[in-house]
Amino acid sequence: MSEVTNDLPQATGHRLEELEKGLFTSDLSVNEFLLIKEVGFHPAGFVMGSSIYHTGIQTRKWGQSLELTKLTEAMYNARELAMTRMEEEAAELGADGVVGVRLTVNYYDWGKDAAEFIAVGTAVKAEDGVSRLNKLGKPFTSDLSGQDFWTLLQTGYFPQGLVMGTCVYHIAHRGIGQTLGTTGQNVELPNFTQALYEARELAMTRMQDEATQLGATGIVGVRLEEKSHQWGSHTIEFLSLGTAVLKTSDDVTLAKPTTIITLDS
Amino acid sequence: MTNVEHSTSAPDAKAEVRRAVASLSEKAPNAGSTTSDLSIDEELNLHSIGWEPVQLVSGLSVFSTPAGLWRWGQGEIVAAGEAHEQAFKNAIRRLHSEAAMAGGHGVVGVHVERSVYSTHIEISLLGTAVRPVGAKAVDASVVFVSDLSARDFTMLMVAGWEPLGLATGASFVYAPRRTVGTVLQQQSQNVELKNFTEAMYSARETAMERMQRDALALRGSGVVEVKLIEGPMSFATHAVGFAVWGTVVQLAKDAHQFVRPMMVVSLNDVDEAFDPSALA
Repeated sequence: MSEVTNDLPQATGHRLEELEKGLFTSDLSVNEFLLIKEVGFHPAGFVMGSSIYHTGIQTRKWGQSLELTKLTEAMYNARELAMTRMEEEAAELGADGVVGVRLTVNYYDWGKDAAEFIAVGTAVKAEDGVSRLNKLGKPFTSDLSGQDFWTLLQTGYFPQGLVMGTCVYHIAHRGIGQTLGTTGQNVELPNFTQALYEARELAMTRMQDEATQLGATGIVGVRLEEKSHQWGSHTIEFLSLGTAVLKTSDDVTLAKPTTIITLDS
Repeated sequence: MTNVEHSTSAPDAKAEVRRAVASLSEKAPNAGSTTSDLSIDEELNLHSIGWEPVQLVSGLSVFSTPAGLWRWGQGEIVAAGEAHEQAFKNAIRRLHSEAAMAGGHGVVGVHVERSVYSTHIEISLLGTAVRPVGAKAVDASVVFVSDLSARDFTMLMVAGWEPLGLATGASFVYAPRRTVGTVLQQQSQNVELKNFTEAMYSARETAMERMQRDALALRGSGVVEVKLIEGPMSFATHAVGFAVWGTVVQLAKDAHQFVRPMMVVSLNDVDEAFDPSALA
C-alpha cells in the first residue's frame, strides 16, 4: 500500500480542546450510552475522519479476469486516511477506543472518480483509568454498536480494531462462442464463479492479515459488501469489514437469556 | 333525485371547520384531553417514571438568506450559517412557548425537519410536550426540548440524567475548484483532493464547535444522539455544508445510576426483527 499521510487537516484542534475540558459529544443512542457506561466506559467525543479522494484509471481487458491493483490501492488508501484521522482524533482526546464506527463512501458531483470516504464513531475512555490501547499502541476501533459492545465484553472478549480487506476485481466477459455454446443449457459459468471466488478470497485474506497484525484471535460481525461504485457492471469491489477481537478474560458474565414475548406491535 | 337528498343530509363541512377552528383558540380545559404522537408503549414508559404527555407542539421558522449568497466565493459562507442558527433558535423558542402554554415542562420526541434552499432555510420541529403527572405550568425559559424519543427520555431519567435542550451547529464553506491543469494532471492518479477535504474539515469543525458552544451555554455535560448531515449543496455543488444536532444532557442525580441490563430472547416473529435490506 502506498504511504499514508497522518496529518490532520488544519481546522481540527479547538473543538478537541473543548472536549478535553469535560463536555462530551456522541452519536450513541441513549441505550448505547447507558450500556457503554455499564461496562465502565465514558464517551469522550464524537470523532471523525474523512478524505475526498480521486481514484485513478486502470485499463481493463474485455476478456480477462484480474485484480485492478491501482483501484484496490485507492480504495485502501482513502479508507486508511479516513480511519487514521479518526484514530488520531481519538488519541488526541486520550480515548481508549472508538465504538460504533461507520465507514462510508459518498459520491458527489465533484467530477468523475472523486469520492468522499468518511469514518465516524464515538471515542470512549475507560473510567478505571487502565489503558485499553491495542497491540499497536493505538485506540481500538470497532464497528460494533453499543449493544454488541456490551454483549461482547460480557463474554470476556475485547475489540482490538476494525479490520478490513478490499479487492477491486475485473470479471472477464464471456466470448460470443462461449455464450452461444451454453444457450439453452443448464450449466455453471466457471469463469464468473472462479473470478468472484478469487476476489472474495483476496479481500477476506487481507482482512485476516490485518487481524493477525493486531494479535487478535477472531473477527466478529464480518460483513461482505460487493459494490460496483462507478466502474460499470464487470468491475466489482469486494470489501470485507469486521471487528478483530481478543479473549482477555476467562470469566463469562453473560447471564442465561430470559425468553420474552414483547407486547410491541 | 337521490342526489339532492344526499346533499341535504350530508354534514355541513363548512360549519364543522368553523367549529374546529374556533375550538383552537379556546383555552384547553385544565384536566383536559391530551394529544400526542406517542405510541401506547411510550406513554406507559413515561408514566413509569411519573411523567405524562400534555400536547403535541410545533415550532417552525423560515429564514431567508441574502440573494446571491451561494455564488462563487472563498472561505465560510457566514450568512448561511447564521441563518441556519437563527432558524433553529426561532423554531426552538416557539416550541418552548407552545409547550409552556400547554403546561408542559419539556418536549420529547422532537422530529427535526430541515431544508436548505438557495433562497431560504427552513426548520420545522414537532414534538410532544410532557410534564411530571399533574405538575403546574412553568415558565417557557425552563422548558427543555429534546429529540430523544419518549422511550430514550425514560431510560435517561432512570439512569439519573436529564435532557437540557437541543444543541445545533451548521457551517457552509466554499470548496475551491481544482484548476484545469490539476484536473488533467490528476486524471489517472490515485490522489487525495486536498481542497475538498479541507473545506469539509473546516465546515465540520465550525459546525461541531457551534454545537458544543450551545451545549456549554445550556450547562450540559454531554451531547447524545448527535445526528449529522454533510455534503455539497444540491443547488451549489462548489459549496459544502455540514450540520449537526443532538440532545444536551447532564447528570441530575449525584451519580450515574447503573441500569443492569438483562439478556432476553424475544419470541416475536423473526421477520420483524430482521431487516433483509441490511444485507444489501
